[in-house]
Amino acid sequence: MGSEEQTRMEEMFDNLRADKYPLKEYTYIGKRIPRRIDGVVKAAGQAVYTMDVQLPGMLHMRFLTSPYPHAKIKNMDTGKAEKLPGVRTVLRYDDPEIPEFAPISGHTPTADEPPLPRIAHFQGEEVGAAVAADTETIAEQALTLIKTDWEERPFNLDTEAAPLQDTAIANLEMYPDSNHINEGLLDVLELGDVEKGFAEADKIFEFKSFRRLHTWVGPERPCGVIKWNGDCIEAWVKQQRPHIAKRVISKWFGGIPMNQIQVHCLSQGASFGGWSQTNWNMGGHYCAAVIARRTGRPVKWTFNRREDFYGGSMDEGAYFYKVGAKEDGTITAVWGDSILSNQIYPVFNPLKHLVENTRIPNIYCKHKVVMINKGPTVPTRCEQNSAAHAFTMIFDHVAGELGLDPTEVALKNDGADGHDMDWLNQQKAKRGFEVRDSLRECVEKGKAAIGWDEKWHPPGEKKLANGRMHGLGFTWTHEWDDSAGSSEMAIRIERNDGTATILGMGCDNGVDAESSYCQVAADELGMRLEDVHYNPQFDPGYFRMTPDSSTNMSINGFAVRHAARILKKKILEVATTPVGKSQRGEFPPAFPDAGPEELNIKDSVIFLKADPEKKMPLSELVGASFNSGPLVDPEALGVRTPFTVPLFAFGYHTQTGTYQPNQPRPRFCRQGHFMEVEVDTDTGQIIVTRVVNTNDVGKVINRASCEGQQYGGTYMGVGRGISEEVIYDPVTGVMLNGNLLDYKIATILDSGPIDTILIESGMGYGPYGVVGIGEDIATLIPTLLGPAVYNAIGVRINDFPITPDKILTALGKV
Amino acid sequence: MTDNPNKNSKYLCPYCSTQYQTFDDLKTHILKDHKNEPIPAPEGMIAMTINGGSYSLRAEPELTLYDLIHDRLGLIGSKQFCDRGACGSCTVIMEGRAILSCMALAVECDGKQIETIEGIAEAEHPLIESYAKHHAMQCGYCTPGFVVTAKALIDKNPAPADNEIREALAGNLCRCGTYPQHPVAILEAAVEKRKFPEGKKRSLKPTEDADKLSFEAVKQDALDKLKGGE
Amino acid sequence: MKRFVHINAKTVEEAVSCLNRYGGKGSLIAGGTDLLGKMKDMILPNYPEALINLKTIPGLDYIDEKDGLFTIGALTRLQDIADHPALKDRCYALAEAARRTASPHLREMGTLAGNICQDIRCWYYRNENNRFPCLRKGGGRCYAIDGDNRYHSIFGGSVKKGCYAVHPSDTAPALIALNAKIITSKRSIKAEDFFKVGVKTTTILDSDEIVTGIQIRKPENGSKSAFLKFAIRKSIDFPLVNAAACISSAGGKVTAARICLNAVYVKPYRAVKAEDAIIGKAITEENAAAAGEAAVVEADPLPHNAYMVQIAKTLVIRTLLACRE
Ligand SMILES: Cc1cc2nc3c(=O)[nH]c(=O)nc-3n(C[C@@H](O)[C@@H](O)[C@H](O)COP(=O)(O)OP(=O)(O)OC[C@H]3O[C@@H](n4cnc5c(N)ncnc54)[C@H](O)[C@@H]3O)c2cc1C
Ligand code: SF4
Ligand code: FES
Ligand code: FES
Repeated sequence: MGSEEQTRMEEMFDNLRADKYPLKEYTYIGKRIPRRIDGVVKAAGQAVYTMDVQLPGMLHMRFLTSPYPHAKIKNMDTGKAEKLPGVRTVLRYDDPEIPEFAPISGHTPTADEPPLPRIAHFQGEEVGAAVAADTETIAEQALTLIKTDWEERPFNLDTEAAPLQDTAIANLEMYPDSNHINEGLLDVLELGDVEKGFAEADKIFEFKSFRRLHTWVGPERPCGVIKWNGDCIEAWVKQQRPHIAKRVISKWFGGIPMNQIQVHCLSQGASFGGWSQTNWNMGGHYCAAVIARRTGRPVKWTFNRREDFYGGSMDEGAYFYKVGAKEDGTITAVWGDSILSNQIYPVFNPLKHLVENTRIPNIYCKHKVVMINKGPTVPTRCEQNSAAHAFTMIFDHVAGELGLDPTEVALKNDGADGHDMDWLNQQKAKRGFEVRDSLRECVEKGKAAIGWDEKWHPPGEKKLANGRMHGLGFTWTHEWDDSAGSSEMAIRIERNDGTATILGMGCDNGVDAESSYCQVAADELGMRLEDVHYNPQFDPGYFRMTPDSSTNMSINGFAVRHAARILKKKILEVATTPVGKSQRGEFPPAFPDAGPEELNIKDSVIFLKADPEKKMPLSELVGASFNSGPLVDPEALGVRTPFTVPLFAFGYHTQTGTYQPNQPRPRFCRQGHFMEVEVDTDTGQIIVTRVVNTNDVGKVINRASCEGQQYGGTYMGVGRGISEEVIYDPVTGVMLNGNLLDYKIATILDSGPIDTILIESGMGYGPYGVVGIGEDIATLIPTLLGPAVYNAIGVRINDFPITPDKILTALGKV
Repeated sequence: MTDNPNKNSKYLCPYCSTQYQTFDDLKTHILKDHKNEPIPAPEGMIAMTINGGSYSLRAEPELTLYDLIHDRLGLIGSKQFCDRGACGSCTVIMEGRAILSCMALAVECDGKQIETIEGIAEAEHPLIESYAKHHAMQCGYCTPGFVVTAKALIDKNPAPADNEIREALAGNLCRCGTYPQHPVAILEAAVEKRKFPEGKKRSLKPTEDADKLSFEAVKQDALDKLKGGE
Repeated sequence: MKRFVHINAKTVEEAVSCLNRYGGKGSLIAGGTDLLGKMKDMILPNYPEALINLKTIPGLDYIDEKDGLFTIGALTRLQDIADHPALKDRCYALAEAARRTASPHLREMGTLAGNICQDIRCWYYRNENNRFPCLRKGGGRCYAIDGDNRYHSIFGGSVKKGCYAVHPSDTAPALIALNAKIITSKRSIKAEDFFKVGVKTTTILDSDEIVTGIQIRKPENGSKSAFLKFAIRKSIDFPLVNAAACISSAGGKVTAARICLNAVYVKPYRAVKAEDAIIGKAITEENAAAAGEAAVVEADPLPHNAYMVQIAKTLVIRTLLACRE
């Protein structure tokens, strides 16, 4: 083991400064790669998803769901269902093998929940019974035969009214006293003195905004398969954290040894956090495991499309603001309040980005989390939706109120922790970064791309020849890779051809991180990209960092890099060290007269630096496997051949991240987004004609993948901004639009062209200076519709999504 | 058929499903009206051509074409996203039309020619390579549906314009939002297809020079070629 | 889906006899894009016991033009209508309505007859597992009145004055504007008389009656038609409001006008007042605006859908302007 790299590895933990050990030269990193690693498999329809799994004798399991938003099962008669031909088992809430609580969360191993609850807290919740049958259709038919006697309870659906005295309590079991559940817990954010700040302001204004519930919509529905092999359990999981799945399963049935659990994490029909992060995520698996044991058959459980509308995003609710600013756009104080619903754990205060991202010295914000009778809200393409929403709202209101260009207001207030850019620049230098003005670079490039200077106009003033109103909007924030995370990854050189395999199970949710890790390994090892492969679905016993928190590359990148560097060192040592000492003598190394430092590897060939003609391909170094074993016989064919020890190395990384206590780590990279819209003031239609994304990702690893995040984030954001809303019947609390026709995600026609601009300031804390990009765009774009529409029609609509009725109402046409 | 609701009318004509009270009536009817017709397939049996291969299959009435190809035949490239006709990920080509297999009853596809993503890949359609090259996917769940839709488009319109591609894909939902990457992949595949109408064997390893793959350049190049009739 | 009997009809007569045989418990299936969605969601209290497939009847899939008469077979797919050169030229409103219906895939499957015979889309009615047994299913009440009615009728209700579910078809208003006739196994019906709201029904068809085709007299020279659709997304979505108009003019003045809105009322809504307002006048911005106002004078929106009035008015104005010579 290379002890120097070992030292670096440890030094990199809690990484609070610039990457000290980047490469001098990049062959693949930062480039467009000619074929994404899973490209052919996915385009050809060969990728296997958990939904596609079929095993011999497999039973299909479906859950009963609640027709009411809040109700308790008084009694249940499952007799008829049990008798239906093809039904194998009906599992009930009162089954002796169903504990009241069990560890079933897919997100954290700590929260216990009822695997088969008796009480429903939202309409459509899986409760009371699960049926396993020969086919899905039979299971569904059996569910209709279950007779349930419900005790209906009062419910509440209104986030704003939830904390009030006479509102129905949404969850009597967990929060019997009040719907307001986070008093004293992450409920206030405070910086400076807001009263003082307001006193310094030239102008003070107050406003309010709403974000209606929206949700993840995973293309592959929640599902899973469980199979027992004797006392060993095999699980196919559709979720982002296979290591949590394994750990959670190990606690079931009195404990299952970790080495007797085999987890399969196949291709994932994306979940964007979402379903994967719910506390009940492993509940289906638990019930399936009980039935699978009882019947001796593998069991696949599924949700239907409607049931995937299980919960939503954490930004649902109402926001209140009071902002003070000087005439020139300098913001002196922001006071805020918010009521957000059903967060599985109270997350960030909505004004958090103001602290992280600006020089505003005085900030105070309350953050109430309340329970209502809708599904849980979880990180849905990020938990920072609320922070991004508030940030955009505040900045655009300041620009609007003061009649300033929003890009100017942004630049004026850029900073961090209440400090200005001078302070921030000192921090950059202190931490070893090149000092660059990230926001300014984003703004300049973005403005040029969209033609801002020619097109910018005061709100409501530009009518186009087609009769529509033209609007431009801008928003920004930092780039984030926020949370703690860790990773174990390894690389192995294969016998016979010297190709490299990366190891480390992880959820492949489509961001093409796998190609990126291959790029890193190839560049670090000096190998050709096509000689490096990675299949994250295989469980070698350890796991990489989960694809959440935009923290894929910034943590796993280190782990792969460490592994590659250690491995390279090992390869060069092996190439120069005699092996196989025995009574019959020793075998000379491949390069008998050189020391490891005299060699290098390029294009998968080892060569002598001083004389590149002296070379040996890696394939030759590792040798071929032989008749009865993986190592070549040293005296094969009567010739004494060298052989090599197994070439394998692992790397690991752990990082505390910004959102851990006592780890202040100012962010230096920024992003800016520009949107051009046309608004039809007679129908209320918004047409997004162009979007420009500028993202300072520090360093690009996989170019097409970064652009993919920009395109994808923009489309998801546009959908969230103009049409995505989970709608409940106010009278019965029943969800009305849990399908893909009535819940409207954007189609290809719903956005105009998108410009993807990537800036590489190197100011990220990840390897080579990277910072994550996955969550940001979809999180910022929805609220950007607000500024763009305001600029078009000159009237504010602070209620998202901005649907035609809201536009027409705002224009006084209703 | 297990639960025929018409319990009192016992004798159903296998040719035209008219019902008769007695066996003799049925016999007379068959001899009179269907004498020269070939023997009908046993009830519930259907015949189809899928990706050029012929199939004889049992299908219950409620089975959708999706259920049949995905669950029964294991052609898992057809994906179910919405299960209600609203997303296009279950698209197959039937008699030249890109249709939704989740909204088609298998029994109604009797005698039809069907092409799935598996057949398109097997025929070395250039779409597969261009999709991989242009990263026209993220999670990939919706991707086969896009590729099948694109194949049907290129069959009908070998030189589609940018807006024609966008219109053709307007029934395919992609939650990952990969939309802008599709037209360029399809444009390039259309050009390739015209160069190699019979398909071109994909090499196992990509040979393209990585640096040349600028999105805009490829798009412009493909557009020029299409316009120039090349 | 629940099990049912499936019958491939070979002739219209056979399909009629099957309908009779199953007495209200049989259902016709054409493209299936509407019917199968209903069956999958199990929205109805009772299930069709038999599906009678019309696609196996030869000779119902055609577009024919003879002696100034277009005849379109019941099974003609919407995409074929949208692509038909003569229809695009002479019956533009219909071709355009077909082109704007649903999504490309659904247009390759959905038939013209299925489109006008399709069921309503009220989200209470369509909620899974018959969660809301409302008036249209023979139940006792309408859930939309007190509930979320943002997509419901702005011109009042029907079925004991209770049901506010709009008729969702895109082609229906075009057919009415073009004064089409619906040909059935029994009779010929003027398109505007074809729609009727009842428990479980949306048309005047008898329980054993089948649409076999649609006839449109080729609009005379000097007439023009148009269709506009407003929906939330640019594809897939049902209309929030749509409008079709067919206008004949002579000497710069409108001599005849047929204007029809849909998705605003329980049936397609012929905007007679708007027609009256424009007949005898030139189609100017001003006159079109007056006709637009006239189209919605009788509007009586529900608590959440008043915005639809403005959209309906706008679409009437714009379809008229699109018919300008
Ligand atoms: C996601 C989605 C989006 C959609 N968007 C739109 C839209 O934007 N605009 C729009 O107008 N529609 C839309 N539709 C509805 C779509 O189903 C219809 O447009 C289609 O034309 C129906 O035709 P079909 O042949 O598939 O009907 P089917 O489902 O086969 O039949 C519909 C009904 O008509 C009856 N029927 C069919 N043929 C006949 C006949 N010849 N005689 C008597 N009765 C008959 C059937 O019994 C059935 O009750 C959408 C559907 C879906 C699933
Ligand atoms: S509007 Fe009509 S279909 Fe909808 S709930 Fe009311 S009665 Fe039923
Ligand atoms: S699954 Fe068939 S259209 Fe969505
Ligand atoms: S790639 Fe994930 S849904 Fe399209």
